[in-house]
Amino acid sequence: MNTASLARTNGQNAASTNPLLELKDIDTAYGPIQVHFGVNLHVNAGEIVCLLGGNASGKSTTMKIILGLVRPRAGAVRFDGRVINGLTTPQIVRLGIGSVPESRRIFAQMTVRENLLMGAYHRRDRHAVAEDYERMLALFPRLKERLQQRGGTLSGGEQQMLAIGRALMGRPRLICMDEPTMGLSPLYVDRVLALIQQINTQGYTIFMVEQNANLALQIAHRGYVLQNGRIVMEGQADALLNDPEIQDAYLGEGVS
Amino acid sequence: MDSLLRTFADQTINGLVIGNIYAFIAVGLALIFGVGNLINFAHGSIFMVGAYVGWVCVTWWGLPLFTAFLVTTLVCALLGVIIERFALYPLRSAPPIAPLLATIGVSFMIDQAVQIIFTPNPQAFPNPLLAYRFQVGGVTVGAIDLLIAGIGVATAAALYLFLRFTQWGWALRATAQDREAAQQMGVDVVAVNRMTFAIASALGGIAGLLVGMYFNTVYPTMSFQATLKGFAAVVLGGLGNVPGAVLGGLLLGLIESYGVAIFGATYRNLFAFVILIAVLVWRPNGIFTNQRRTAPEPLTGTFIARSRPVHIPAWAIAALTVAALALPFFAPNPYLLQILTNAWLLGMVALSVTLVTGTAGQTSLGQAGFMAIGAYASALLTQRLGWPFELSLLASALVSAVIGVLLVLPAFRLRAVYIAIATLAIGEIVNQVILNWDSLTNGAMGITNIAPPSLFGWQAIRPHEIYWFTLVLLILAALVQHRLVRSPLGRTWRALREDEVAAQAFGIDLNRYKTLVFAVAAFIAGLSGAVTGHMYSYISHETFTNTTSILVLTMVILGGMGNLLGAIVGAVALTALPELFRGLADYRYLIYGLTLLLLIRFRPQGLLGTD
Ligand SMILES: Nc1ncnc2c1ncn2[C@@H]1O[C@H](COP(=O)(O)OP(=O)(O)OP(=O)(O)O)[C@@H](O)[C@H]1O
Ligand SMILES: [Mg+2]
Repeated sequence: MNTASLARTNGQNAASTNPLLELKDIDTAYGPIQVHFGVNLHVNAGEIVCLLGGNASGKSTTMKIILGLVRPRAGAVRFDGRVINGLTTPQIVRLGIGSVPESRRIFAQMTVRENLLMGAYHRRDRHAVAEDYERMLALFPRLKERLQQRGGTLSGGEQQMLAIGRALMGRPRLICMDEPTMGLSPLYVDRVLALIQQINTQGYTIFMVEQNANLALQIAHRGYVLQNGRIVMEGQADALLNDPEIQDAYLGEGVS
Repeated sequence: MDSLLRTFADQTINGLVIGNIYAFIAVGLALIFGVGNLINFAHGSIFMVGAYVGWVCVTWWGLPLFTAFLVTTLVCALLGVIIERFALYPLRSAPPIAPLLATIGVSFMIDQAVQIIFTPNPQAFPNPLLAYRFQVGGVTVGAIDLLIAGIGVATAAALYLFLRFTQWGWALRATAQDREAAQQMGVDVVAVNRMTFAIASALGGIAGLLVGMYFNTVYPTMSFQATLKGFAAVVLGGLGNVPGAVLGGLLLGLIESYGVAIFGATYRNLFAFVILIAVLVWRPNGIFTNQRRTAPEPLTGTFIARSRPVHIPAWAIAALTVAALALPFFAPNPYLLQILTNAWLLGMVALSVTLVTGTAGQTSLGQAGFMAIGAYASALLTQRLGWPFELSLLASALVSAVIGVLLVLPAFRLRAVYIAIATLAIGEIVNQVILNWDSLTNGAMGITNIAPPSLFGWQAIRPHEIYWFTLVLLILAALVQHRLVRSPLGRTWRALREDEVAAQAFGIDLNRYKTLVFAVAAFIAGLSGAVTGHMYSYISHETFTNTTSILVLTMVILGGMGNLLGAIVGAVALTALPELFRGLADYRYLIYGLTLLLLIRFRPQGLLGTD
């Protein structure tokens, strides 16, 4: 992978006294169906934190709460100390939260170039955007070869790269990723994980949702386990990896 | 040969010019559908407002043409923003059919408002450009043709540049492709939606002004035809596909122009609707793409919010029925009885709509077409073949059921919004065929001297007689329908409404049950239409219009979707309301439109709740 610099100004070493992102006592419901029951979690600046859980445990809903696409019924979401639930999605994005949505959600009819630049839609610093764009091309040579191709015609793995590149174009302080390895070939799974680790070492904080606990915990610093809308376990990644309960519940599935 | 060629060339130019205007309308509809996933029935009204604004600018204020265009653009853009903000934005999390119905309400209100301000009469639009015509290689081209072509090309270019190279253009495209992903890029999709309405409405207004200039006249009813033509063009090009809409518009213009040259002017409107149905059925994504599947729609047939119906005890219903039957003894006021007779007749149609749309979830906007079939069948059977009324009434309802099913049959594959457009077009086709099939229907003249309803020698002529006759029919229809929806058949119909895919998975033959539900509905609507014809003694292709269909749908929503008693209550309320307040008769459609709008917003389950 290319080693172009992606250094950020406010980096890794922000003191960990105040988490960058914090979910406090979140309850969520879709109509009569409650999805979250008092969810608490936090992400410190510079970390990779993963949220594990089986199907329909409420992982994607957690992402949507953070991004303001769904409103919690109770509780608070804080970003950099500021309560953000209640803000609209564009406002939240402008505060510095980027998103790699579930199943990628590339703009299928727009070109690769346009998709990348859409990631910087909310930015007004044109020169810096142009620089970031050049960095993306260096980071993703496959995308560089396909700049005028429509997003929808890329392969699944290429689309995932594009989705990550698109999120980076926003220069977010936190990137939320919803199952970034889902549906990818083993080769691309490794690439995506390496990429996540790489951008993390360059200063990006990452909160990712994964079903595949084995893979996610290999690159994450910490993890949470969500079950039926409740956090049932949390801890350092290696501790979770070696936990027999997790072994039984999640590590059996989807190991490539 | 040479003159034939010249005619062909003339018709081609004519078709391209009209097509250019259709393209304007269609592009607006396509933009709104693409971004908001909404079929905007108010688009034609904005188009008509554009024509009037231009007309006011030119004839009242004597403004130069360029200024007139500018004012029209601004006024219509503003109107679009207002509609979006106050009628549609509050419905942003309602099921998609809700904003669609809201736009119907808005269009009723705008059309009536224009009629009140400018009278329903056509106004002459003097156009200095019409005097200038050129001969180019034996073909005549008018200055107005060039103007329309010029504006068309310039607008298309501007739109292209806007979408490709501006921040807002990108935001619009991104929102159209994936609303939620666009939000996550920081796009304010609410603002994008509003901007889209402004642009689309401005385009619609310009189209209206051009049409007014081209045909030298403006009139309020140009609105609904424009909406339908726009739908046809948009469907031809693929819903939500902007370049497709341009091509669809041009193609529709050409087809109409050649068609009129071959078959005659009265056929003009038939082409659009036949094309509309054909494309919906065979190429639901338009003729410019190979995809055959319709875009995934979040809703199946499901209509407005489910709710628990208000419980009304059986004795109360019985008491009301007896009271209604006894009314002529206590209040022999012919005027009152006449109004209620109308309510009973429309109540029957409302029953039929609540069955198809409420119980089985197939939004029908073409029910008046079935009334027309019933009315013509019975009028012709009694007049031409001398059948007794009792027999012809039943036979005509059957004819309506059979023809109705045959007409809707090709549209069975369609769902939700698509079936709504298709049934609308079917209603329109029925009237166009009536208009053009002179030898059978007497064409535009209509049928006169239809005998009054009678039963074995007893004639229903006086108001209380016809009152009883229609009331008894309504009660019978309601009883039969009540039995039907409570039977296993009714349960299957409701399964269609809840989830077609699941219903199919359970081995339900969808087509068979859709056939049945449309047959029963067309039977009841045909019955009502037949009686209406015999009561008025005169019918024409303008007796049962789309306005009736939409009015009846409003009645059904007012009473509560799928609720039998609700349908009748809705019919009585909306028939009687404008009559009660005598002064309001002129504002009738304003009231209907507002009722629809407020209902959808504040009480989508209707007065008595959905069932
Ligand atoms: N828009 C919605 N309306 C109603 N219910 C929803 C909606 N979105 C999600 N749900 C329900 O909420 C629950 C949690 O969904 P969520 O998408 O958060 O799960 P998930 O953990 O991401 O699952 P998966 O691993 O399959 O992606 C599910 O039962 C789902 O059916
Ligand atoms: Mg998920």
